[in-house]
Amino acid sequence: MNPVAAVGVVGGVLGAGAYALAVLDGAAARGVAGMPRRWADVVVEPARDAALLALTRRSTTERPDAQAWALAPGLLAAMAGAAVASVPLAEGFAVADVADGIVLFGAAMAVVMVGVYLHGWSANSPFPLVGGYRFIALALSYEMPLALVLIAAALPAESLSVGAIVASQAGSWNVVRQPLGLPLYLVAGMGLAFWGPLDGADGADLAGGTAAEVSGPARLAWELARRFVLVAVALMGAAVFLGGWHGPVLPGAVWMALKTLALLALTVAIGHRVARVRLERFVVVAWAVLIPLALVDVFVSGALAL
Amino acid sequence: MSRSLAVDVAFVLFAGGAVVAAWLVFRTDSMVRAAYWLLASFLGVGAVMVLLHARFLGLVLVLMMAGEMTIMAVFMVMFMMNPAGLNPMTMVHQHGSAKVAGLVSFAGLALVGIVAEFPDRPRTSDADPTAELGVELLGDSMLIFETAGVTLLATMIGSIAVASKRGRFGDAEEGSGPPPLEPTARPAPEPEPAMEDHDHEGMHHG
Repeated sequence: MNPVAAVGVVGGVLGAGAYALAVLDGAAARGVAGMPRRWADVVVEPARDAALLALTRRSTTERPDAQAWALAPGLLAAMAGAAVASVPLAEGFAVADVADGIVLFGAAMAVVMVGVYLHGWSANSPFPLVGGYRFIALALSYEMPLALVLIAAALPAESLSVGAIVASQAGSWNVVRQPLGLPLYLVAGMGLAFWGPLDGADGADLAGGTAAEVSGPARLAWELARRFVLVAVALMGAAVFLGGWHGPVLPGAVWMALKTLALLALTVAIGHRVARVRLERFVVVAWAVLIPLALVDVFVSGALAL
Repeated sequence: MSRSLAVDVAFVLFAGGAVVAAWLVFRTDSMVRAAYWLLASFLGVGAVMVLLHARFLGLVLVLMMAGEMTIMAVFMVMFMMNPAGLNPMTMVHQHGSAKVAGLVSFAGLALVGIVAEFPDRPRTSDADPTAELGVELLGDSMLIFETAGVTLLATMIGSIAVASKRGRFGDAEEGSGPPPLEPTARPAPEPEPAMEDHDHEGMHHG
């Protein structure tokens, strides 16, 4: 694919996904608060918020690490873009369906951890720093289940390519074949984007965590970047667990969009309905329950694939 | 731009970037920055491996090192009692022996690069290096890798058993107490046993 077209496709998917996520989030917030959903408002509101942030003055702290601070949102956005590039958006249409797509996704999501920690650390301020350390504890807990469920999904396809994994789901989707996979993946994905119940890094209990000292265009970049990560997670989840382009009547690209939106809507609903969990409890649950469940997923999927 | 020229340019950028980032590890004044310059250097090496068609190894290098360098930064900050790692501190010490070690290792590697005969076996582009790597790991070399893997796993379990709070040698906090407020040569005092009426008071307030 032409490099300019490739950048356009990845940027378009991330931008449209992040806007849809913001609209869904606004609608869910109004629903939870019992406010009337005036759809005209709900659809315009994210653009209004973004414009407000873009025009707000940037704040700074005493002696921050300015380069790392500016790098953090770029790192998250770039890694989300790399993940999106490896996912086929329709049958035979991917920006780069590399043979090791699942490993590329894992590597990109590991670098996200670096981005979030740097964002908290480089502000040179207590609350962001605590947020950064919280994210490391969270990330070290969700990384293993995330890697294991993706390996399990790659076993029936006998390939690490995302396109081959989607193709292997022509008969039945992985969400049916490997019932443990999608729930574990969603927990890890919400941790990756520090979303909803796993929002320890940027939580309101830390006055905004890693983003506590960030305002103006830098805040806009950060909020966009973490939504890009969630969109990449949903897109990969739709491809790996929900059968990707497979589906009756409608064209494959539409199915892909619908499945991604469904996962985003589910994430938003969980974010508004489930209380934030305490990190030390989550770490224990992740190591004592989620990793063994993910191992069961790998062993059962491997035995079935043989 | 032709494809091979683009690959050459990318190689020079990533390889040069890896060297510069590795040099910056020692020029920076913060443990976190040093750890992440090292990560940047590894990212360059990973990209070079991808350019050499070792995609799986290159990506796994990035995957592992992103986590390793973060853990290393956190551990260094914990051990150095420098809460944020933002306070300036020098990253180089023992200048004399460091110079000798650096020169010796550079000369050794340069000698290998110049003298050694590297295998020259061009492969067809349809070869699958990931599959070949898997066959190698679980075929001829399985005994070596499994021995190393199980040994490392046993080491990890053992160190957790020794170091955990309720570990092999009892409660980790046994005998420890808060540091004294005045500087003193004596070790920290034993903590006072909890008073019985403490709970009682708490109940009234609750």
